Amino acid sequence: MLQLTLVELYKIITKPRSYIGFLAVTIVILLIQFALYLQGDSYINFVFQNLQQTFVMQGKILNGNQICFIILQTLILQMPLMVALVTGDLISGEAATGTIRLLATKPFSRIQILLSKYFAGTIYTICLVAWLGLLALGLSLLIFGNGDIIVIKSESLIILRSTDVLWRFMFAFLVAIISLVVVSSFSMMLSCFTDNSIGPIIISMAVIIVFTIIGTIEVPIFDYIKPFLFTTHMIIWRNLFDNPLDKMQIIESLSVLLLHIAVFLGISLYHFNNKDIQS
Amino acid sequence: MKQKIFFTGFLLLFFSMQLMAQNPKQLIAAVNKKFNSVQDYSADLKMDFNIPSVNIQTIKGKVFFKKPNKFRVRTHGIVFLPKENPAYALTLLADTNSYTALISGEEKIGNSVCEVVNVIPNKDGDMILGKFWIDAKTALVMRSQLTTKSNGTIQIDNTYAENNTLPSKILFTVDIAKFKIPKALAVDINSKSSNNKNYNNRTSGFITLHFSNYKVNQKLQDAVFTEPEK
Repeated sequence: MLQLTLVELYKIITKPRSYIGFLAVTIVILLIQFALYLQGDSYINFVFQNLQQTFVMQGKILNGNQICFIILQTLILQMPLMVALVTGDLISGEAATGTIRLLATKPFSRIQILLSKYFAGTIYTICLVAWLGLLALGLSLLIFGNGDIIVIKSESLIILRSTDVLWRFMFAFLVAIISLVVVSSFSMMLSCFTDNSIGPIIISMAVIIVFTIIGTIEVPIFDYIKPFLFTTHMIIWRNLFDNPLDKMQIIESLSVLLLHIAVFLGISLYHFNNKDIQS
Repeated sequence: MKQKIFFTGFLLLFFSMQLMAQNPKQLIAAVNKKFNSVQDYSADLKMDFNIPSVNIQTIKGKVFFKKPNKFRVRTHGIVFLPKENPAYALTLLADTNSYTALISGEEKIGNSVCEVVNVIPNKDGDMILGKFWIDAKTALVMRSQLTTKSNGTIQIDNTYAENNTLPSKILFTVDIAKFKIPKALAVDINSKSSNNKNYNNRTSGFITLHFSNYKVNQKLQDAVFTEPEK
């Protein structure tokens, strides 16, 4: 099983598209850091203009933690697309090239084959989030230094002390990994149903975009749908920066995400196990 | 006969009250005299915040003041400070040629009976009106209310430890607008807009400064107020 997973990882590493996500994350993070280094004060003044009419905000507002938070909230909506680009191709890509039949003749069960691909996809996701963390938090702290975070919400602000931030980031990255594994499971599930490598990637991206738009629009009818969309729960990492923490909300969202993973993986296993592989 | 006694009594009471009533200039001179004994100070500071839509924890730091109007708060972290520093009201009173003072009445603040002194600036500037609640017995400003063009109205309530010229606690009450930015900018996707029908969208925010370990007249260097935060 480990050997099979390593083989699948090797396949991911050798595909050029696997590096698109890393490249995109690197470019976006460096761009944000560069822009905020040069003109971060303008951004701060714009966001806090009505509070600055009454108060003097004192302290190092543009610090590494704050920059990391800004990067996370900017990138977190795009990260699923980068994951789907790789994991949506894991089964259907091999079906399209015909190598899946060859793989099925090896002394491994179909469940083992699928799980090895699933684990390889998960490792890829973890690596992508780790790279994000290294650049967004590590590099930002190196450039901008340590400091308190101002969590900017649409109608409120939460100021968290620098000593109270690192563990929140670590949990946020963990939640990000779980969220992205939902996307990888979803795209892998779609990948089991087709022999076309592009289809699952496009459908995954379309679903994420549509769900995100539904989550953004404030129309009462969507309020009934939102709790069932995995994208609603994927941004629960933000709740880790609340004070006090709404633990029940976080646990509920994590449970919904884990349930999605289980359902998507279950469907994938069932379908792939019973699939008539003809190509 | 009864009418004459009553009338004489009334006159005596009226004139004695007039004699007892403070002249605003005397009252302010007494406040200034007391404050003149302080050239500079430093103190430990604890700040509590109760600002609507801003969740910020209590923070500790140090505060520095030097006459005429140098003020600095040093903390390890982000804080929201009122635009007027705590000594602003006393600095304003010190320049007695720049305003006209009138006593408008008497009010009780805590256990202190205070004269309410209205201060109207002589020149057109940012300051519109200053109102000071001065305890005539101790010559201490217990409350001040400053109305400025740029910052609206700010109220400063002072609490003093016994026989102290400098306050042990200052409560700032400021008039603030509701914080709101577009959801897209905050990437606050899951949140719902509040159904607040208060179109005025203004409310009060409170900042409390607790002072301790005052060190007075230590000849603080100007560099204390200019050197950058570490």
